[in-house]
Amino acid sequence: MRATGSTAARSVMWKGVQPLLGLVIIYALFAAVSGTFRTFDTLKTILTQAVILGTMAAGPTIVLIAGGLDLSIGSIFCLVAVGAGLMLNAHWPVALLVIASLAIGAASGAVNGFITIGTGIPAFIGTLGMMKVYRGLAEILGMNKDMSKFPASFQAIGSGYLIPILIMAVSFLLVWIFLSRTRLGFNCYAIGGSNEVSRLAGVPVRRYYLIYYTLGGFFAALSALIQASRLNFTNSSWGNGMELDAIAAVIIGGTSLSGGVGGIGRTVIGVLIVTTLNAGLSHLGVSSSWQRISIGVVIILAVWLDVVQRRRELKA
Amino acid sequence: MSKRFRAIFLALAVLLCAVSLAFAGPGAEKPAGGKITIGYTGYPGGLTPFWAEMAQYMKEEAAAQGVNLIDVSPTVADAAQQKDSMDNLINRGVQGIIIGAIDNRAFGESLKRAAEKKIVCVAVDTAIDDPYVTALAQTDNLSSARVLGQYIVDHTATKGKVLILGGTLGHQTGDARRDGVKQVLEANGFEVIFRACDWNDSKALETATFELAANKDIVAVFGCWDPGALAGLAAVKQRGLLDKVKVYGFDGLPPALKSIKDGELTATIKQDNKQMAQVIMRSVVAQIKGQPSVKKLLIDGFVIDKSNVDKYLK
Repeated sequence: MRATGSTAARSVMWKGVQPLLGLVIIYALFAAVSGTFRTFDTLKTILTQAVILGTMAAGPTIVLIAGGLDLSIGSIFCLVAVGAGLMLNAHWPVALLVIASLAIGAASGAVNGFITIGTGIPAFIGTLGMMKVYRGLAEILGMNKDMSKFPASFQAIGSGYLIPILIMAVSFLLVWIFLSRTRLGFNCYAIGGSNEVSRLAGVPVRRYYLIYYTLGGFFAALSALIQASRLNFTNSSWGNGMELDAIAAVIIGGTSLSGGVGGIGRTVIGVLIVTTLNAGLSHLGVSSSWQRISIGVVIILAVWLDVVQRRRELKA
Repeated sequence: MSKRFRAIFLALAVLLCAVSLAFAGPGAEKPAGGKITIGYTGYPGGLTPFWAEMAQYMKEEAAAQGVNLIDVSPTVADAAQQKDSMDNLINRGVQGIIIGAIDNRAFGESLKRAAEKKIVCVAVDTAIDDPYVTALAQTDNLSSARVLGQYIVDHTATKGKVLILGGTLGHQTGDARRDGVKQVLEANGFEVIFRACDWNDSKALETATFELAANKDIVAVFGCWDPGALAGLAAVKQRGLLDKVKVYGFDGLPPALKSIKDGELTATIKQDNKQMAQVIMRSVVAQIKGQPSVKKLLIDGFVIDKSNVDKYLK
């Protein structure tokens, strides 16, 4: 018994360490090979480039741990960006539009949760449908409208290094507190581990799911606001495929697609692996097509390692 | 176990920070051998042959000028990704950057950073309204679109509605093409329906299909870019309106020229992307060397129709 427990403990420990070890190796390799990569500016740029993906990935981290899936966050990102653009065109005060945009994102996430738990439709299908709905709404709202040249007070949100990185760091911290210090967070793991057992244990699974999806929408909205302010324009083509990028970063970090396992620390590492790979390969002159291929290989590798370890655990 | 796990995790995190900081220097390395290095980030070549050709011409001209060229053009039309690619070029310590903008509004902060590092930034095809962009080579979109607008007027017997399938609203190139055609058509009694299609061929097809169904009196369709025009043409053909509705494009790309030859697309405006690449590369190199250079070149586009298409079909 003791030997089995020890093996399982080692396995859990090794799983947590692998992504960080991967990140260290990737960073060290690029730093060794590329002279221009090992600069402080590059380090700052990597962190800045991680902001949009990182902030967005905070949402799916919670949803995936709870055993859910939200494919519509890319479209929520787009809807919020268009909504913010329209509000800016209408000269809304920046503070008000930020609150309104975050509320739109959270409400969109809540609708996803409601559809998934209210109808019993699988999350994959329910959120796939809502992905189309939100995208269509964004297209209707943004049709034939120039949403650009925003006021300096709005641009400040995504400008420079400090503020965006700070927003991302605070998002990660909040999710860490949520997952590790609140009942909602603890139950996220329980629900992801076994939905049915949690229900029998008296956890209000349906209500909690609604909150997890709401948080997913909230972080997609926050991410959209940062991008809109950073690029100083928005349009309805944004966010295509971003849901998959965010989910990929979460998985690369080691959060399980089947729920119950994961954490925001792992997502931070997953996001940094993706961003470092992109930046590093770019410094080596590798085209963005090859950057995509490398990310794809890393995703497969990460999930494969997870599968192998699960098999070993079962055997043990 | 938990303590041991935390210790390993912490050790790795410290190692990462140590590696980062140990390697981090104050600035980028200068390129070896004193050879000038130019970065290029253009619209994705995989999405339109115009930009695939542009990338090739850039490469050829860089070789002719004896400079290194780093092409970091994204593979998808994502302005954020293009901005990231430009930031990476800045960190790589290139001396000049040529931008073929996916969206001309996205670069403000990056251009400022480049200027602080004395990197020369120039634009090709799409103007970027920023004081740090020191040269531009593009088609004179407004005047060329006016020429096409007049061509449409001259070749349309019945006055009616003209559908314009546009780029992204606020995009300098797309707006100029829309305005040029629109001004001439409206001055000659045509009604213009403009729809922004974000340079997206599928959106152009969908929009044209919908508008042709909703407006029976559309007499012509103008796509602000050739693939968009060909998408409009597909919608016209689907509805069996090829004998009633003429379709026009802008770019002069091989598929559009073939379509003109086949008697489907009526005309397009030819853009000289080879000249753009040559002029802008020479300009950026001259600026880096501190020599006099071309700061703005507006190239006139011209109409290609059935009468002269053979001359330009490769």
